[in-house]
Amino acid sequence: MEATRSVESVPTHEAAASSPQRKRVKFSRILLHATIIFFCIVVVLPVAWVILMSIKSIPDAYTGELFPRHYDFTHYRYVFEKMPNVLQNFANSIIVTFSTVVITCTIAVLAGYALVHLRLPGKVLVLSLLVGSLFFPTRIVSLIGIWEIQNAIGLINTRIGLILPYVTLNLALSILIMKGVFETISHEIVEAAKIDGASSWRTLWQIMVPLAINGVVVLIIVNFVTAWGEYLLAYTLTNDQSVRTLPVVLATTFGGFGEWAWPRLAAIYIMAILPGILGFAIAQQWYMKGLSEGALKF
Amino acid sequence: MASTSSTVTSASARRWRPSRILNLGVNWVYLVPALFFFVAYMLYPLLQVVYISFTDYRYLSREPATFIGLKNFADALADPIFLQGMLRAATFTALFLPGVIFIPLFLAVLVDRVENPRLATLYRVILLIPAVIPGPMIFVLWRWMYDFEIGPINSILVNYLHLFTPRNAPQWIGDTPLALPGVAIMSWWWGLGYHTMFFLAGLAAIPREMFEAARVDGANEWQMFWRVTVPRLRPMFLILVVLRFGTAMAVIDEFLIMGGLNRGMPTYTWTVYMWHLAFGLGNWPQGYAASIGWLGAAAMLIVVAALFYIFRDRD
Repeated sequence: MEATRSVESVPTHEAAASSPQRKRVKFSRILLHATIIFFCIVVVLPVAWVILMSIKSIPDAYTGELFPRHYDFTHYRYVFEKMPNVLQNFANSIIVTFSTVVITCTIAVLAGYALVHLRLPGKVLVLSLLVGSLFFPTRIVSLIGIWEIQNAIGLINTRIGLILPYVTLNLALSILIMKGVFETISHEIVEAAKIDGASSWRTLWQIMVPLAINGVVVLIIVNFVTAWGEYLLAYTLTNDQSVRTLPVVLATTFGGFGEWAWPRLAAIYIMAILPGILGFAIAQQWYMKGLSEGALKF
Repeated sequence: MASTSSTVTSASARRWRPSRILNLGVNWVYLVPALFFFVAYMLYPLLQVVYISFTDYRYLSREPATFIGLKNFADALADPIFLQGMLRAATFTALFLPGVIFIPLFLAVLVDRVENPRLATLYRVILLIPAVIPGPMIFVLWRWMYDFEIGPINSILVNYLHLFTPRNAPQWIGDTPLALPGVAIMSWWWGLGYHTMFFLAGLAAIPREMFEAARVDGANEWQMFWRVTVPRLRPMFLILVVLRFGTAMAVIDEFLIMGGLNRGMPTYTWTVYMWHLAFGLGNWPQGYAASIGWLGAAAMLIVVAALFYIFRDRD
């Protein structure tokens, strides 16, 4: 008990460096960090393994040894130069994801703002429907219906046919996130802008969105991750390899020899997860602020 | 402050009186795009699925669909593949739920104690790495991790720890009892960072004075955890248990990617069966598949209602 109790008050004990208590403090702090670091390593290892796989020489990839005898850094170039289909799938993913993120975020900002700062008859009904849809497996149940619609209007095997249902995937969550973010902004700012003669539209884009920018970053990342990796709809609504997105191609490819050798698959994989990880690394500070500003408290 | 703002509101409301009713309606313009997508790609498909679940609609059949009432639902309830699929989904949920709630809670309590702000941020960022990798990409990654030939997990077990030989090494995916635990472990890994952040936000909302007071009263860490932290995080537990129950029972991408369309596999749950019926089996009996989708969803909603009842405020 003594040891754990002093964990929080370590700085005050700094002076008593030689006391036995200090030793126990040190031990429990080491244990604390060691446990967290253990989890961090567990989190990083699988990703590190794919990176390692993507720079192994092809024979070494099949030995079952973790570390290769020879490294081969040419797999990435091979994908770019010799696998034009994969580049096409890459482009599909970019087009579909970009459109989905832009449309979803715009809609969610509009709706979140109206739900918090504008007078809206029927607000409670809208909110309960949004929250209710989170607890219902709409993705599974509506799948056949979505396929029927896209089939009826000829959107099977098209990129736009993916974008439209993708917007709905995260829309309820996105609106609730934006609602949480806008709730942290004082309503008096809206009132003040109104008195100054600003329309609700101008107030939103010139005053509210800049104030809610951390939340918007969370929104962009959440929607990017969903759209970039979406599998079920893409697998169901497309069967033409040239309009398929990267996750479907990776999931339906089983590693073997030849063009789809393991290290090349791993290189494609790294290229596919890199945009998300880089984007997150760049936007990390806004993302963390956004999370603490209410983006998680829906 | 509050009184001034309310007088301002009423003053401006009075000034705009003639068009006040119109104004209220005009604000709905902000919700029109959202409603369009909800109606077109959520509400309408759901209703259409309701409709075809009462018919013998088969996509590849030339005969027109006829209304057959509740026959699909009666058939499904007597269909051993559907019932076994529900049981498999429930087994997976039971394996998955404890790990995705308690491991992140434990980790959040630890990370919450890190005093160095830079280190605290670094830990959070590292733990969040899986959260920015899309789910299906995680499943592809773990299908490779579990691979019998080249997967690093068996490589470590056989070549480094010498716990197994290539002959008796565990098979993690496919027709094996380890298939569902394997997917559960993967899902813990995937959700670890995100749920830790969730609990950290909850821990940050607990006033520090509560811990101080408990400490003064002589409570140790263990008692403080159970008497202060856990009761305070109760609403969060409810949301997480219900949300994760919903995702776990309705899992499909994981099972399609790591299992495939083989009836014998433990990963062939009711969702995979529904997909297989609608887009692959026979002449695509989508009417029957639709009824299975609704039955699965209804079963889930009953359990969700029960969970809300269990976690209700008892005061």
